[in-house]
Amino acid sequence: MMTRNNLLLLALFVVLAFVPQVFTDGYVRHLFIIAFIYAIIASNWNLSLGHCGIFNFGHMTFFGIGVYTAAILTKTTGVNPWLAIPACAITAAISAVIMAAPVARLKGIYVVLVTFAVNQLVMQLVLSQADLTGGAKGLVRLPFLTIGDYSFIRDYKLGYYYLALILLGLSTAFLILVAGSPFGKSLKAVRDAEDYATARGISVARTRISVLVLSAIFTGIAGGFYTVYLRVASPEVFGFSTMSLVLSMVLIGGINSVLGPVIAALALTFASEAMAGIGGFEDARYIVIAVAMILVLRLAPGGLIQILERLMPTGRKPATPTRSPA
Amino acid sequence: MDTLLATLVSGLVLGSLYALMASGLSLVWTTLGVFNFAHGALMMVGAFIAWTVSEAVGAGPVAGVVAGTLGAGLIGIVIERLVIRPFYASRNMLLVTAMTTLAVTIILERGAQMIWGPRLKQLPPLVDGEIRLFGNAISAHEALLLVAAPVILIALWRFTVSSKIGRSLRAVGQNQDSAALIGVDVPKAFALAFAISAALAGLTGALLGSIRFITPAMGSEPLTKAMIVVIFGGLGSLGSTAGAAYLIGFIEAFLVLWVGLYWTPFALFLLMILVLLLRPNGIFGKR
Amino acid sequence: MTPLLDVKDVQAGYGDMRVLHGLSLHIGAEESIGLFGPNGHGKTTLLKTISSLVRPTAGSITFDGIDITGRKPPAIVEAGLIHAPQGNTLFGNMRIAETLELAAFSKRASNGAQKRLDEVYALFPRLAERKTQLAKTLSGGERQMLSIGCALMCAPRLLMLDEPTLGLSPRLKEELGAAIGEISKSGVPLIVVEQDIEFLLSHRPAISGGAWRRRARDRPRERARP
Repeated sequence: MMTRNNLLLLALFVVLAFVPQVFTDGYVRHLFIIAFIYAIIASNWNLSLGHCGIFNFGHMTFFGIGVYTAAILTKTTGVNPWLAIPACAITAAISAVIMAAPVARLKGIYVVLVTFAVNQLVMQLVLSQADLTGGAKGLVRLPFLTIGDYSFIRDYKLGYYYLALILLGLSTAFLILVAGSPFGKSLKAVRDAEDYATARGISVARTRISVLVLSAIFTGIAGGFYTVYLRVASPEVFGFSTMSLVLSMVLIGGINSVLGPVIAALALTFASEAMAGIGGFEDARYIVIAVAMILVLRLAPGGLIQILERLMPTGRKPATPTRSPA
Repeated sequence: MDTLLATLVSGLVLGSLYALMASGLSLVWTTLGVFNFAHGALMMVGAFIAWTVSEAVGAGPVAGVVAGTLGAGLIGIVIERLVIRPFYASRNMLLVTAMTTLAVTIILERGAQMIWGPRLKQLPPLVDGEIRLFGNAISAHEALLLVAAPVILIALWRFTVSSKIGRSLRAVGQNQDSAALIGVDVPKAFALAFAISAALAGLTGALLGSIRFITPAMGSEPLTKAMIVVIFGGLGSLGSTAGAAYLIGFIEAFLVLWVGLYWTPFALFLLMILVLLLRPNGIFGKR
Repeated sequence: MTPLLDVKDVQAGYGDMRVLHGLSLHIGAEESIGLFGPNGHGKTTLLKTISSLVRPTAGSITFDGIDITGRKPPAIVEAGLIHAPQGNTLFGNMRIAETLELAAFSKRASNGAQKRLDEVYALFPRLAERKTQLAKTLSGGERQMLSIGCALMCAPRLLMLDEPTLGLSPRLKEELGAAIGEISKSGVPLIVVEQDIEFLLSHRPAISGGAWRRRARDRPRERARP
């Protein structure tokens, strides 16, 4: 199913593959790497929040679990980072099952409360278990990612750049496949017409658990990669600031779309970094992003992607998601 | 025996704190149908305003507490006007306002960081000295919190049950159109409920400011605990929310006694998941 | 003589769906009218528009010579133009006595509230028997009584009743009909919305004139959902 949005995505990835040829310094590449990681988190969050309509405020838990899985495995038990990163998919998926078990049966505001509380409690767990996690200080100086003698830090992070891009590519392909599958259609049914879905024999509880687990897989891997790349694990990944930054990417990019959050992640990472360069803007940039988030909710609830689609005149109707239960 | 009593007292202090926080959340929820993520940040702002008036201006702790309460209430009115009211008609009001109030949290926390800087601050206690409770010495200020919490909660309860305005808030929460048809100004009622809730958060922060350090992030832990409280007690009624608050306070204090600080968050977490699996509606919750 | 309520060329609806297409209606100070017709023809929407729960997009509404178009609902209640909604839409978790006391919320209604409360209890003795019962535990007929009772507590100068007998047994209908007759006799002009034409006509002494006339251009393009 090559819709116009998927073609755009493909074009975007081709362009991104050539970025390192243009930007040869480590700093710009670093920004792209961080943006790719955020793009993975944001677009996977969208799977539960946008596609299935689960009021999930605990998505960063999966990322944080990935971060600490990789950090503890590589630092404390000396596991090779190449094994530690995929292991994060498993731990993140397990944490998703634990979160999903109560969420599957809850409704409305209680889903918000439980998912958010799980996120906060995992953070407090990490903070309190200082022997294992380093507590508030976190874990530092994790081993480098290498192939043979080649360290990924060399050549101005070229290796990390392509690895991050490949991860984003895999995650995006995975999301498109899930959204296009019969399961993806049942997600929309659960979101838009729960009773109808139940009547058609779709188990709402099972669908919710599955979608949370699916959205955790690449988010956990992204967490593992993030910590191996930065060589630091800190409890900040569970905090309000990171959470609202990624949430703003989902919202500004456009809920329900795969392309939107990816573009928003790129745009916001660079915008945030540019603002950090302005003196005294270290805190103010978060305020700017928070205000942008409120404005988008107020003025353009469909997000960036809807504005883009309106701007690009095409023969057919804009590819906004259908509201009718599939 | 002594440790047991000490634990009871510490549970009572925690319970009072959680009850004050959670009752504000409950008031906004029952009136507007909005969950205010910025509640913890409003508490923090109340503490900072109290510090500024009491210490920086030098007007003393009582003036500080009053200023913190009123200041947070005023900010609450602004928040309601700017990020809640525009979304009343929205189809996804619950989700959208959860997000906008989350954004407000960031604005308040980062704003506080910019205004008040990173240095740790603390308020002097409202009352000096110590009080012996069940043979345990606690600071007079903590004792004040113990007394103030039930007094405030009962006052709030009487207000919503007996006063005309309080009843109108309940009416708006139960049926906006019918409330409008007997002449209640619904937007005004919303603003009032939000302001009372925010003022309550500010008061809690100003009182907590002499027990804990005042930092931009000081609201997030009490907010999380208040959320656990409402998960256990439901958001629907003040009584069950307050009951759950004291229960969680005692559970936390006893967990610290039995499993130590190290494992308390984990045990609390486990307990919450278990309760939700066994009783998805919470312990008192009927929903 | 100027009419008490004058609705002129009002257009209103929900979102993109227009329900009232230029409707006009007026009622004199001494008369009561009934509006009847099947579901989804905009009768309830008309009442909601008059009480400003729905904002009209065109036209004007005048009450007692004062233009009230687009005024806020509390201002309209303050003027004495009272709308009693269908009885299932009350405050479920409030007690009967509490609800009735609260209903005298406006400044205008707070004068003589106690006297009117006694009148409401005299009119509906069932409510007096169940003062401390929560509204959500009431039967359909009792809810209707409570809804009308609330409207009376607002000290109406014109009372609009929305399907007061919807879904009630014939016996209860008779009881409510008698009560509505009493209200009318006490000098309060009424607008009664009803699907049951016979019920309206059987109370002709109280409710005279008026009908739901639909001109061709009033025809809604879409019907409201039942």
